Amino acid sequence: MAMISVEGLSKTYRVANKQPGLVGTLRHALRRQTTDVAAVADVSFRIEPGEMVGFLGGNGAGKTTTLKMLSGLIHPSAGRVEVAGHTPQRRQAPFLRQITLVMGQKQQLLWDLPPRDSLLLNAAVYGIDDREAERRIGELAAMLELGDELNRPVRKLSLGERMKAELLAALLHRPAVLFLDEPTLGLDVNAQARVRQFLAEYNQRFGATVLLTSHYMADITALCPRVLLIHQGRLFYDGSLAALSARLAPCREVRLELTTILPASSLERFGTIEALEGRTVRLLIRRDQLTARVGELLAALPVADLEVRDPPIDELIGTLLQQGVIG
Amino acid sequence: MGRYFRTLRRFWGMALASEVEYRFNLLIELVAVVANLASSLFVLSLFFGDGHRLGGWSWPAALVVLGVHQLLDGLTITLLQPNLTRIVSHVQEGTLDFVLLKPIDSQFWLSCRTISPWGLPPMLAGLAVIGWAAQRAGAPADPTTLVIAGLMLLCSAVILYSLWFLIAASSIWFVKIWNATEVLRTLLTAGRYPISAYPPGLRLLLTVVLPIAFLTSVPAEAILGRATASWLVASGALALMCLLISRWFWRFALRSYTSASS
Amino acid sequence: MRRGLRIARVLLSTQYALMLEYRAEIALWSLSGVVPLLMLGLWSQSEAGQALGLGATGLSRYFLAAFVVRQFTVVWVIHAFEEDALQGRLSPLLLQPLQPLWRYVAAHLAEQLTRLPFLAAIVAVVMLVHPQAAWWPSPGALLLTALFTWLGFAVNFLLQTSITMLCFWSERASALDRLLFFPYLALSGLLAPLEAFPPGVRSLALATPFAYQVAIPARLLAGEPVAIGPALAVLGAWLALLLPLCLILWRAGVRRYGAMGA
Repeated sequence: MAMISVEGLSKTYRVANKQPGLVGTLRHALRRQTTDVAAVADVSFRIEPGEMVGFLGGNGAGKTTTLKMLSGLIHPSAGRVEVAGHTPQRRQAPFLRQITLVMGQKQQLLWDLPPRDSLLLNAAVYGIDDREAERRIGELAAMLELGDELNRPVRKLSLGERMKAELLAALLHRPAVLFLDEPTLGLDVNAQARVRQFLAEYNQRFGATVLLTSHYMADITALCPRVLLIHQGRLFYDGSLAALSARLAPCREVRLELTTILPASSLERFGTIEALEGRTVRLLIRRDQLTARVGELLAALPVADLEVRDPPIDELIGTLLQQGVIG
Repeated sequence: MGRYFRTLRRFWGMALASEVEYRFNLLIELVAVVANLASSLFVLSLFFGDGHRLGGWSWPAALVVLGVHQLLDGLTITLLQPNLTRIVSHVQEGTLDFVLLKPIDSQFWLSCRTISPWGLPPMLAGLAVIGWAAQRAGAPADPTTLVIAGLMLLCSAVILYSLWFLIAASSIWFVKIWNATEVLRTLLTAGRYPISAYPPGLRLLLTVVLPIAFLTSVPAEAILGRATASWLVASGALALMCLLISRWFWRFALRSYTSASS
Repeated sequence: MRRGLRIARVLLSTQYALMLEYRAEIALWSLSGVVPLLMLGLWSQSEAGQALGLGATGLSRYFLAAFVVRQFTVVWVIHAFEEDALQGRLSPLLLQPLQPLWRYVAAHLAEQLTRLPFLAAIVAVVMLVHPQAAWWPSPGALLLTALFTWLGFAVNFLLQTSITMLCFWSERASALDRLLFFPYLALSGLLAPLEAFPPGVRSLALATPFAYQVAIPARLLAGEPVAIGPALAVLGAWLALLLPLCLILWRAGVRRYGAMGA
């Protein structure tokens, strides 16, 4: 039986639209006009116990909204959702004991007290007796490389330490389902790596089902064999990461500042043109051809400045749509 | 010319836009003023049943004191609260530095930055009560009395400002006691009643330590035409002294603030 | 049941540890409750106060008791809840298998415990200044005071929580809480003993929750006669009304929170 089962899930918000200016204000006062904005539209998928699934999508794509609907915080406008055999929005105690939601920027630890105090409170709330709680805290702290940080007030911890403590607090009751919303947001590279390692270990050790959203490709690549791609509220791809990567053909983005304006035709042979604005060009070039192409670029074109980086998710999705891979 | 008209339309357009959002707030504020006045009048009236007097003051005279308190309360809501309670947030968020870098005196900036129109109904209510009660108490309505009363009220406003400012500015050191202005507010409710109604010990405290007497009772006397030269001078001197103390204190606070944050 | 007790114990001790971090602020909140002591000054000096027939001792005991009792019936859940909702702390709380309102109850109880030392200090000072007013209530009186204080707190908490839930539908709902403050001031017995009220107003006060937040517990603590039966009946009626209302509004409010986007 699937751990998570979602069918035709939708969430629509009603937003008031007011036109600018004096006339708009008067109209707004007399008769409000609203538009319906679909944050999530007709999403369906099933996740089996123990899977680690990544939710990929740009900002505002609908990932967080979907996650909140799965945890029961937000009520769907349409569709069915079932998690661990329960209807999330009823927020029944047996359901709540089996899940956890970790949101990157929001916190549950009490700010002025050491994490240990919040942990012991959680232990009481979830009905874990103190000795077992201490054992679990020890185990998780070792996995997360947290030591004395648990005894210092949360406000005195660095962002990385805080995030790790939040994870510990979220997992103390050994939930069967983990919803993680941007868990590595704002962390430095080391902390990100540590968190990813921890999540992989946790999934291995306890067989928990993990649903992870991120707009860092690296998070997903490191952890999730399966990926759900969400764009503008719709599910565009549900399948293996490997297959998606093959399509994307690991690319890097090269940003060029030319000294003169050149037509697209003279640039096409170096890579896929993402954007061409005056003298600024952005190209997608395959990783295995990168060095060679960049060499050719520099030799053939009047380049003033050059920058190489990973393409942002939105761009990738845009390209995928263009290529007809998805949608 | 056309540019000025367009700008004016934009200004008034924006003003109207906020007006539309806040018209419910206005209703609430009006109800609040009426409720506030009703409850204060009720409590005050309890002292005057059966022809009793309060500290030697008659009912209409005591109402003048209440009216002055209401007026000052309105001033607090209009000017003092919206501005001075932000000093703490400036310190906490580190934005005080930006204020200090402006080419305008920082005390002026912090004290007058915004204004809340919601204090105007209480101020008007206060004036109405003063007007009605003064007339009932048989106060003289000649220009001299009015001018003197106005001056006394001005001194009260200055003293009130200085008290608020001193407490709000001390948050530069003590962010943790941001609610010290709340204590001030509750203590200031003592100003609803004539100073002579208090027992001698409290009376001394409320004249010398926390000059509440000068805030409401002294101007009320002036409005009722009972002002004496000595009280006038004392009021003026106190107001000036309070203002200077607030200025000196601010300079002192800034010195310690700027030398601490490096 | 055992689980519930354990949660209560840990919750209270955690909240107490938290409140201790805010000692300075809480000390000031305690201090801002001294208004009854100011009113004591007024009533003991006034002609109307003399006419009440309570005597100087009676008045002193009543207002001192009012000061103490009020510290335990004050409710601030609307501010804490709104702050939590704004800061995004509400969502994680909704995902734990514990009704979030219990956390706020625990916070209030912990805060009251934290106020105790400051309150004791203020009471000690007053008793030093007025040794003739000092008294120690009988065990029966203490028990009754504790019961009625707790009931008054419960009614106040449920009332304010119900209003807080309304804020999910409209921000303006918090104005309702503000407006209720004025009848509270007039009718709770904070500013005047019940004996001073005209009979009609006294009956009105005893029918509202307000009199039970200061007047009734204070009278019990001061050793004055109180009609226990009718008091319990009125409190019972209010609890029977407010408890289901609060729970219904909570459930609807959380649904609305979820509908709006949590």
